[in-house]
Amino acid sequence: MAMGKGQPLHFELDDDDLKLFCEEADEQLELLDAALVQLEGEHEPDLVQQIFRAAHTLKGSSATIGHKKMASLTHAMESVLDMVRQGKLAPGAHVVDTLLLALDALRVLANEVVTRIDSGTTTERLEADLHAILAGEAEDDLPLAAVSEAPGAPGLTLPPPSIEAVLAEMDQGRGAYLVEITVSPDSPLPGIRCYQVLQELDAVATVVHTVPERILIESGGGEFSLTAVITTNVDDEHVTAALAIVSDVSAAKVRSLTPEELAGGVVQTTAAQAAASPAAEAARPRLSVVEADGPHPAARPAEPRKATQSVRIDVERLDGLMNLVGELVIDRTRLQQIREHLAPFMKDGNLTELAENFEETTSHLARITDELQEEIMRSRMLPVRSVLSRLPRLVRDVAAKCGKKVDLQTAGEETELDRSVIEEISDPLVHILRNAVDHGIETPDERRAAGKPESGTVTVTAWNQETYIYISVKDDGKGIDTGALRRKAVERGLVARETADSATDDTVLQYIFFPGLSTAKTVSDVSGRGVGMDIVRTNIERLNGQVTVRSVKGKGSEFIIQLPLTLATTKALMVMANDTVYAMPLVSVTEALSEEEADIHSVAGRKTLRLRGRLLPVSDLAAALGDGRSGLVEGPRFVVAAKHSDRQVAFMVDRLLGEQDVVVKSLGDVIGNRKGLTGATILGDGTLGLIIDTASLVSEQAQLAAIA
Amino acid sequence: MATNTETTAGPSSAEEHVVIFRLAEEYYALDIQAVQEIVRMQNITSIPGSDPWVEGITNLRGRVVPVIDLRRRCSVSVNEHSPETRIVVVSSSNGMVGLIVDAVSEVMRIPADQVEPPSSIVSVPANTYLRGVAKLDDRLVSLMDLAGVLPSEEPAYAEEGEQAVAA
Repeated sequence: MAMGKGQPLHFELDDDDLKLFCEEADEQLELLDAALVQLEGEHEPDLVQQIFRAAHTLKGSSATIGHKKMASLTHAMESVLDMVRQGKLAPGAHVVDTLLLALDALRVLANEVVTRIDSGTTTERLEADLHAILAGEAEDDLPLAAVSEAPGAPGLTLPPPSIEAVLAEMDQGRGAYLVEITVSPDSPLPGIRCYQVLQELDAVATVVHTVPERILIESGGGEFSLTAVITTNVDDEHVTAALAIVSDVSAAKVRSLTPEELAGGVVQTTAAQAAASPAAEAARPRLSVVEADGPHPAARPAEPRKATQSVRIDVERLDGLMNLVGELVIDRTRLQQIREHLAPFMKDGNLTELAENFEETTSHLARITDELQEEIMRSRMLPVRSVLSRLPRLVRDVAAKCGKKVDLQTAGEETELDRSVIEEISDPLVHILRNAVDHGIETPDERRAAGKPESGTVTVTAWNQETYIYISVKDDGKGIDTGALRRKAVERGLVARETADSATDDTVLQYIFFPGLSTAKTVSDVSGRGVGMDIVRTNIERLNGQVTVRSVKGKGSEFIIQLPLTLATTKALMVMANDTVYAMPLVSVTEALSEEEADIHSVAGRKTLRLRGRLLPVSDLAAALGDGRSGLVEGPRFVVAAKHSDRQVAFMVDRLLGEQDVVVKSLGDVIGNRKGLTGATILGDGTLGLIIDTASLVSEQAQLAAIA
Repeated sequence: MATNTETTAGPSSAEEHVVIFRLAEEYYALDIQAVQEIVRMQNITSIPGSDPWVEGITNLRGRVVPVIDLRRRCSVSVNEHSPETRIVVVSSSNGMVGLIVDAVSEVMRIPADQVEPPSSIVSVPANTYLRGVAKLDDRLVSLMDLAGVLPSEEPAYAEEGEQAVAA
C-alpha cells in the first residue's frame, strides 16, 4: 500500500458501499462530536454506552473496508471508552481532549475513503496518547462509580400473548426451544450476524419472541447476544446445525422448553445478559431547558425520542419531487385561468353540468396540489438540531482558546426548517457564537469583579413564527460598548461625526454590521479581525432574512437571525416594469400604492416620496435594474416602497399584479449573478419572471441618493 | 492536406458527427454529443443589464435555461426571427444553455480528412471558438468549439473571505 500524503489509496468497497459507509460514518462522527463534549460534565451511563457503541461501529466499518489506520485509531479510542464505561477511568479534560483530537483525525481519515487519496494524517501520536491513558497515566482523579449495566433479567420474561402462542403450538405437536446465541466479541459486524441468525431461525422455525426485538435486529442493531423463543417441528440438533452456518457465532445453545416453564412466564437463560439501552435510540446531546422571556415562546423540556420508522431518501430525489410539484402548481394556476376564460361560454344551459364538473374537478385539483406542495416541503424540513449539535464543541474550543469559561444552553432544536436554509444558517450562527464567546463573555476574573458567576452563559434558541424561523444567540457578557462603536465608526470614516453623536444607542448598535469595524483591542485569531459581521449580515439578507442585535452594557447582547422557512419558495409582490414581470420578496416590501395616492415631490432634482414621516428616494425599477426603456406601458403607474436594514427607497413600476408564492429557480451560471436579481420563477402562463434582490437594489439606490 | 492534426473529441476519430446550422449566410457545426435538443423559438425573458449576446432566459419544461444569441456572439449580422429560427440546447459545464441560430439544416458525419485547421482560413478572434473548417461539396462549414463560444466562468462575487483591515 502506497504511503504518504497524496498517494492513492485502495479500499474494498464499490459505489453503493461507499455511500453506505459515508452515511453511517457521518452519523457516528456527528454523534461522537456532540456526545464527547458532554462526557466531561455528565456521569451518564447511557451517554457512555452510546459513545462506546459509536466508536465500536466505526471500528467495524473501517475494518470491513480495509482502512487500517482508521480501524486502528478507533480501536484505541474504543479501548479507552471501554475503560470509562467500566468505571475504571474518569473522563476528565485530558481524556476528552485526546478523544476529540482523535475524532478530528477520524473525520479526515473517513474522507480518505471518498477521495481515495492519502491525506498524510499521522495517527501514531494520537494512538500513543490514547494508549498512555489506558496505561493509567491519565491525570485525572477519582474514577467514576462504575457505569452500572442495566440489571440483567435473571431470565427471559415472555409477554402473555407470546406464551399463549407457544403453548398453542405445542398442543399441535410442535416443540418449543430457547435459543441463546453469542456473537464473538471480535466480530466487526455483530448486527449483521444477529440478522443472519434470525434469518436461519425463520427458515426452520416460527420465532415467537426475541431479545432484542425483531425490529431492532432487522435494522442491523443487534449486538453480541441474541435470545429467542421458537417453535418448530424439527429437533434441536437441526436448529443448532442451522445456526452453525452463521460465522462469528462463538456459542449457540438450544434448549427445549416445557409447558410448565412457559406458563410461569419467565424462562431461565444461561447468563444475566446485560441489556444495554436499545441501540436504535439515536444519541441526543443533553440539552438544558431555558427559561424563556420576551417574545420567545417557552422552551419545552427535551422529550425522549420515540423510535420512528424512517426511510433514507436522496436529497436529489426530494429536489426532483419539489420540481415536479412546482410544475404541478403552475399547471393548477393555468387551469384556473382557463376556467375563468371558459366561464362565459359555460353559461349555456346544455353545458351547466359539464361546467359544474369542471369546476369541481379543478377545485379539487387545486386543493390536492396545495397539500402535495406542503407535504413535499415538509419532507424537506430537518430539525435545526443538526446545526445546533455542533455548537457545544465549538463553544468548548473557543472558550478554551480565549481562556474563558462558557456554558452553552440550547433550546428549540426540534424546530424544523428547509434543508436549503439549514445549510446556510450554519456559518452565520457559528460566527456570531464565536464573537459572543470571544468578545462578549468576559474572563473569569473580570466576571468575578463584576459580581457575575465565573462561567458565562450563551443561550441559543430557535423557534418558528408564521413563515419564518428565528434563532437567537444571547450572552450574559459585557454587552456592546456603544461609545467605542461611535468613536470607531467616525474614525473609520463610516459615519459622519454629527450623525454618530446624535444617533440613539439602538442605531449605533447597528454599526456593528458595518465593514471594517472591530472594537476588540487585540486581534484574536479566533474570530478574525471583526470584519465578519458585515459578511454575516450580507449573507443572511441574501437569503431574504434579517439579523438584528440588542445589547445592554454590562449585561449582555442578543443577536436574532430571522430566515424564511424555505428558500425554495418565497412570498412576493408581483409587479410589471416595461414588459417584464418581477417578483419582489414581500419581506422587503413595506407598501405599494398608486402614483396618484403617493405624495411625491421633487427635492433637489430628485423624486422623493413622503411616506409615514420619512422621505424615500424614488427611482424607476426598470432603470435601476439596467433596463433603460420607458413608456412601453401606458396608464397610471405605481409606487412600491422597499426596505433593507434601516434604509428605505421607493420604486416606480407599471403594474401591480398581486401577491403570490413563487418557486425560486436559479438563473444559472452562464448569466452569472446578475446585479439586482436573485433568480427566476415560472409564471402561470409558462413565461419567466425575474426575482429581485431587494437588499442590494435598495442599498444601491439609497447610496446613490445619498451621494447626489 | 492529408496531415490533419485536428483530432475530434470522440472515440471515433475518423469522422466528426455534427449538427449543422446556419448563422446569417454562414454554416457552422457543433458536435452532436453536446446537443441536447432543438426547439422552436419561444418566449425569452430578457435580463436587463446583461451582455448584448445574452438574449435572456427561457422556460424549458420547467427548467430555467439561459439563451445566447449565437449570431451576436459570433459577430454575424442578426436577422429578424423567421419561422426557421431555432434554439439549439446544449449541455455545458455550466448546465444547459440555449443558442439562437437562424436555421438548423442537418446532422452529418464529416470524415476527418475533410477538416482543416481554422488558422489557414479565418482571422484571429474567431479562432477562440472555431476548431476547424470542413470542406463539403457545396460549402464550408465551420466547426465550433462549445467551450470557446460560451462565456467563461467568472466568480460572480469576490471571494467572501475575511478581508484584513488594519485594526
